[in-house]
Amino acid sequence: MAVARRSRYRLLLLVLTALALLTLDFRNYGPLETVQSGLRDLLRPLVAVTDTVLGPLGDLWTAAWEYDDLSNENEQLRAELGRLRGESIQIEANREAYRRLLEATEIEYAGDMQRVTATVIRDLVGNFADDVVTIDKGRRHGVKAGMAVITGSGLVGRIETVDTHHSTVELISSPDFTIGVRLVDTDDVGLGHGVAGDPTAFVVDAGLHGLQTGQPGPIPAVGSAVVTAAESRYPADIPVGRVTDVSDVKGGLAQVVSVALAVDTRDLGFVTVLLVAPLGDTEPDVVSQP
Amino acid sequence: MTGLKMVAVGLTALLLQLTVFVDVRIGGVAPELLVLVAVLAGISAGSGRGSVIAFCIGLIWDLYLKTPLGLSAISFALVAYAVGSIEEGLFRDTRLQVAAIAFMATTGAVTLYALLGELVGQRGLVDGDLVPIAVIASSVNAVAAPMVIPLVRWAVGSSSKT
Repeated sequence: MAVARRSRYRLLLLVLTALALLTLDFRNYGPLETVQSGLRDLLRPLVAVTDTVLGPLGDLWTAAWEYDDLSNENEQLRAELGRLRGESIQIEANREAYRRLLEATEIEYAGDMQRVTATVIRDLVGNFADDVVTIDKGRRHGVKAGMAVITGSGLVGRIETVDTHHSTVELISSPDFTIGVRLVDTDDVGLGHGVAGDPTAFVVDAGLHGLQTGQPGPIPAVGSAVVTAAESRYPADIPVGRVTDVSDVKGGLAQVVSVALAVDTRDLGFVTVLLVAPLGDTEPDVVSQP
Repeated sequence: MTGLKMVAVGLTALLLQLTVFVDVRIGGVAPELLVLVAVLAGISAGSGRGSVIAFCIGLIWDLYLKTPLGLSAISFALVAYAVGSIEEGLFRDTRLQVAAIAFMATTGAVTLYALLGELVGQRGLVDGDLVPIAVIASSVNAVAAPMVIPLVRWAVGSSSKT
């Protein structure tokens, strides 16, 4: 009886400790983050050695079960390569026109910002982190939490946690990652986020024109570009994706804009971290309201 | 000494989860090895000590997850406590019993983690993927439990009831 009572008290103590940790974590309590980062740094050599020794097992598993997929992907890539070779001449011609357009519109995608290229060393761990990857650059390389991560195609995500040599990136496909975007076609700004269960989709469902003015806003064309807003925490005009659908809600006073992401977050090899401190430190992303 | 043994077992499970089980997935679902060790700690060490061990294992796993610190820890501890309480009422463990408890406890831990996560504002944890994740991870743990339990018993310093 006494043992059972002691066990219950112990459990109560554990629950209270967990609640305290959750509270501190939500408040981004600095010392707690430092301890977490320190522990990950401490375990890093062990993880690296284990990965080197046992990594081939994972590769073997992938090769055994995903051979057909890899073969199909290879075929698709060959076809894509052929198509791209054909397009390269056209791209050469378009490049000059694009440069002139950028000059005219003063859009500068990641311009001459300081950056560091990183390798994605680990995809998701466990079963509930679909939207997080680990990269091989960290505090030592100038990376800080909140910095934007891009590829040549557009925005990949933001730096979530930073250790000495590694960082984790919360991908743009995460439903928890809210970001200020601009619809290039209408020049309207709003807040968007990823869609749970669909790593290729993004939705802009807050802050768009209609609700601010009380008048139905202009409707962006399907296929038009969506980029980061100048008022967002991240550098402006980083491509986010293209509009795939626009639906009116609240009698046309609000829009929900569906976007196909420019970056395929399921297949990342290398990424670039823009070494520019994000504007503000609070979540979520803020778009200035008229 | 017992503490060191448990650290070694927990660390081994963590390293396997962070390396091998990033790629080795069944139907896209990774085995939940740390949940298994936490559950087996509940079976082997009882509700009191087992829940503390499970809490520590959850806490170290939380270091690598996107979800807030303490979420896995609280889920693991509650499940280990429940498992330990059930186990204390049994006369002896059969392999089948251990496998059945591991299956149910893993389902409980995965579901509890997702529900608590949603409760504290994490989006996308409770969706259509939750059922396959719970079923596959629980099945893997049920198969692995009879093989892993001697190791956990060695680590916590308890003997089998069989």
